[in-house]
Amino acid sequence: MQPDAAALPRGSRLGHAIGQNIGLILAGAILTLAVAGFLMVYSIEQHRLPGNFELTSTVNNAIPLVFAAVGQSFVVLTRGIDLSVGGVVDLANALAAVTMGKSLGGALLWSAVILAVGAACGLVNGLLVAFGRLQPIVVTLATLSIYQGLAIRVLPAPGGAIPPAYTNLLVNPNAPWALVYIGLLILAWAAFRRSRTGVDLYAIGNDEASSRALGVRVLRTKIIAYMLDGALAAAAGLFLAASATAGDATTGNSYTLTSIVAVVLGGVSLFGGRGSAAGAIAGAFITTLIVNILFFSHVNPLYQSFYEGVFLIVAVVLGGAIGGAIRRRQ
Amino acid sequence: MRALSVDTRRILYAIIAAIGLFVVGEAAHPGFLSGPSVASILVIASFVGIVAAGQCFVILIGGIDLSVPWVMNAAAILLTTTSLGKNTGAPEAIAAAIGMGVAVGVANGIGIAVFGIPAVVMTLAANGIVEGLTLGLSGGFTCSSCSSYAPPLIQTLAHGTLLGIPDALWLWAFVTALVSGALAVTRFGRATYALGTNPLAATLAGIDARRMTILLYALCGGFAALGGIMLVGFGGQASLGLGDPYLFTSIAAVVIGGVNILGGRGNYLGVAAGAVSLTVLVSVLLALSMPDYVRSIAYGVVILALLLAYGRET
Amino acid sequence: MTAPAIAARGVSKSFGGVKALTRASIAVARGSVHALVGENGAGKSTLIKILGGRIAADEGSVETGGPDLRIGTVFQELTLLPYMTVAENLLLGREPRGRLGLIDRAAMPRIAEAELAGLGITHIDPRALAADISLAERQIIEIARVIMARPQILLLDEATSALVEREVAWLFGQIRALRDAGVAIVFTSHRWGEITSIADEITIFRNGTDVGTFTSIGEDEAITLMTGQALETIFPARGAQPPGPVLLSLRGARAEGTAPLDLDLRAGEILGIGGLAGHGHRALFFGLFGAPGFREGRIEREGRPVRITAPWDAIRAGLALVPEDRKSEGLFLPLSVRDNFTLPILRRLSRLGILRLGAERATVAESIRRLAVRTPSAQQPVGALSGGNQQKVLLGRWLLTRSRILLLYDVTRGVDVATKHEIYELIAGLAREGYAILFYSSDAEELAHLCHRVKVMRRGAFVAELPADALSAEAIVAAAMRESGKTEIPHAA
Repeated sequence: MQPDAAALPRGSRLGHAIGQNIGLILAGAILTLAVAGFLMVYSIEQHRLPGNFELTSTVNNAIPLVFAAVGQSFVVLTRGIDLSVGGVVDLANALAAVTMGKSLGGALLWSAVILAVGAACGLVNGLLVAFGRLQPIVVTLATLSIYQGLAIRVLPAPGGAIPPAYTNLLVNPNAPWALVYIGLLILAWAAFRRSRTGVDLYAIGNDEASSRALGVRVLRTKIIAYMLDGALAAAAGLFLAASATAGDATTGNSYTLTSIVAVVLGGVSLFGGRGSAAGAIAGAFITTLIVNILFFSHVNPLYQSFYEGVFLIVAVVLGGAIGGAIRRRQ
Repeated sequence: MRALSVDTRRILYAIIAAIGLFVVGEAAHPGFLSGPSVASILVIASFVGIVAAGQCFVILIGGIDLSVPWVMNAAAILLTTTSLGKNTGAPEAIAAAIGMGVAVGVANGIGIAVFGIPAVVMTLAANGIVEGLTLGLSGGFTCSSCSSYAPPLIQTLAHGTLLGIPDALWLWAFVTALVSGALAVTRFGRATYALGTNPLAATLAGIDARRMTILLYALCGGFAALGGIMLVGFGGQASLGLGDPYLFTSIAAVVIGGVNILGGRGNYLGVAAGAVSLTVLVSVLLALSMPDYVRSIAYGVVILALLLAYGRET
Repeated sequence: MTAPAIAARGVSKSFGGVKALTRASIAVARGSVHALVGENGAGKSTLIKILGGRIAADEGSVETGGPDLRIGTVFQELTLLPYMTVAENLLLGREPRGRLGLIDRAAMPRIAEAELAGLGITHIDPRALAADISLAERQIIEIARVIMARPQILLLDEATSALVEREVAWLFGQIRALRDAGVAIVFTSHRWGEITSIADEITIFRNGTDVGTFTSIGEDEAITLMTGQALETIFPARGAQPPGPVLLSLRGARAEGTAPLDLDLRAGEILGIGGLAGHGHRALFFGLFGAPGFREGRIEREGRPVRITAPWDAIRAGLALVPEDRKSEGLFLPLSVRDNFTLPILRRLSRLGILRLGAERATVAESIRRLAVRTPSAQQPVGALSGGNQQKVLLGRWLLTRSRILLLYDVTRGVDVATKHEIYELIAGLAREGYAILFYSSDAEELAHLCHRVKVMRRGAFVAELPADALSAEAIVAAAMRESGKTEIPHAA
């Protein structure tokens, strides 16, 4: 067929790139605003720009959430949700504190084991969702309780120890080395996005029934998504333990909800199929920076949740409106 | 005999599960089925049941309310601070607390139905907003001028009995009758199921989906506040974490009660049975002096087992 | 004839107690085009799904002319993934690999563009999201994807439903080329002109089974076979009652995607709205019903202006809309027949919000009887009924509202012939009782036989009005496509 007058004009490549990545672009914009806001509040307060120390502490504070949010994004992309993230973070955190001992070598070995435990937790979720024909929200609500219970069994009271060398390796307090892990995470994501499973993941989130008709391996891909999610949540627990230099089987609880917030702020659709891990990473940093901004602007800490809640609603409503307007213009 | 519908069967299963757990409790710990023991378990279940009533409404339209914990906390704190622990201000304090819950629910409903915010995000944000406002306005709940005790009247009511049955159970029975009746034989109930089954068709059949959504979230907020009031009346003193366990418990009670998390299917009778099951389970484990972690794990395992047994998607 | 490339022998299939296929058989030779023709619900789509291996037959067998023959199916329901690009959709499962064995995402649009150009498609941007291209373009991409997989057996189920003439010509060019290359092709369509122009063999289906295979057959004979009766006897006699007063008027009413529309609908008349799909009919019907309402212009109810911005306004103004897609827009499938019937009239059946169950039971029983709904009880989930009975429940719901103005939007879609006949009788009867009926159908035959007059829409505007004495399917179709001068005859769509 030849193009004729009735054929739609082609969008430019740039136009397509903007329209198809609007969630990520908006997340980037919010992140830029958050960074700018932080710089402003900080420099007014401290009469200088933030330096290496602030950068390092922000990165180190954000990194557990970065990993938890990327994990959450895998599942959300399949149109699921994982409420057990907090439980897996707790379990990994507790296991790290009781197993790692004094040497770095042992700690690294145990890290691998703990990541595998996280993946196993994800496997349980994935099997129940894929074969149990239960809704993800219900499955992970139940396993959250189980994983939290296991964490408390492992570490009944806060304590244990993390080798200082391990802390230095993961969340070095002197320089933002942890950015390297985020860089690796982005690379790994980019490779995953370009794998068979990565394509299948998006296909399922787009339309599960059609995907099945098109030969996408739905069950297998879902299970892999939950396993990656579990392993990344466990990684979040390791970073958390490294930061605290000790374990606590309850500090991870909040990651269930904050990882969902980060994913939403990062432009990943809760209805599946749209968004990316890069967005989730941006969302994690936005979430962390908002806390910093509130801290440095001397907002009464008691009101902190209030401002976070208002920010979330405003960001989602404005983001939706702006994204919709841009897509309509195309 | 006509075959029972899937929904009726699920309610029956939920009730059977609750009874079964009671029997297990008696076997594990003789005396578990004694009158006072059962009554005290049911009283604790009534708190779950009342909060779950609200959760049931929003889950029936495929929603969810994550703002339950802080609505409960706020209601408890509002009650104790506005009444100053005295009977004279009690009615106003109750009205204020429930009004606050309804207001939060209305805000949730507007955010979801008018602004199109996903329910998970909207109610999560609302939980934070209520938390911040409650802590901030109450000065971290440390203001010395205000009492942190519930008015004696409410405490008496919470602990009182009528015809040998605790007041809390009368209230729960009333709520159960009201909610199941409303769902079964009113226009409101039919509209709720229609909206939860097929929102587009419901709108085309003349149902105002926005108004219904706002109404249902308002009810959810109101029931959460009522749960907070009952808890503070029962415990005497408001504490900050009081509502926290009720988020997941209320959702769990709804789903093991046979309500489809995607909306449109289920009834409050099953939810009430679900609330009893969960409470009995905890009580059994407590009676056996199981440590916390066993309780937590057993909780998850039992929910999964019940769901796998009868909660599958059809 | 040599051994067929694909054949079904005595295939039966039921869905939840409803029999879709009963011992149906066809055989398709290599290098030939075999058309399946029949009413909606005659079992064609089910047979295609079974041939394609999407669903398994309850009994009977499917044989192919050789092991590992590649079968490609274009399904009636589009399967494109909306938030992936055209290129990603086309190359799904066979993405180009670059370094480290990873998918070369950058190369995909280029490859897709080249492959599309190879099929003669140059007007669809492979970088666009599938959700952002038109329905016709999506259908073309769907077809292209299947052809690109080089099938040896190609199954096309209603693959032309969204296509215009030029695009159909493209598809037929592809089909002929594949046929000449030895591909066996099975094809369903509702457009008789298409069928005769492309098919080597035609198998006619009725009520879930094949009733005859021909190399050539006239349309009238085919219709008689498809429906089991002659065309004239399917439709009730058109009432010749004098038209009553005007109940509903539109003056300059414009919906999204339509021109300002004027219209007068009288009591006792069936006013047909015709034209090709996608030319603004839906916007007109849903605009009248406030879902969403018109952007400008006036609606008058018996001369008085009414504001309709939401469905409840329309219901209050005495309108009723029966939508085409009863499963997603009309019915609550898991809910009971009773609940489905009475939802819009609960106000009438309740006091202080509490339902008067006795009155409701009587009302529902009366409706079940009046419409001859075949259901074991009023408590039966409506999803367990057959398509025709579901449609009756939906119609009956709106008759209960006592609305005098019925907006019927393609209400006989996917309904078996017998029920169609009942629905026609019902509609004609309602008109005699003084109802004003606005009737859209994708089936020109239906419009021609049932309506007192027909207004034809093209590109969102009324382009012709045909009075009763000038009504014929041909005239409607001709008016709908006067520009293109196309001569297809939509049939029984």
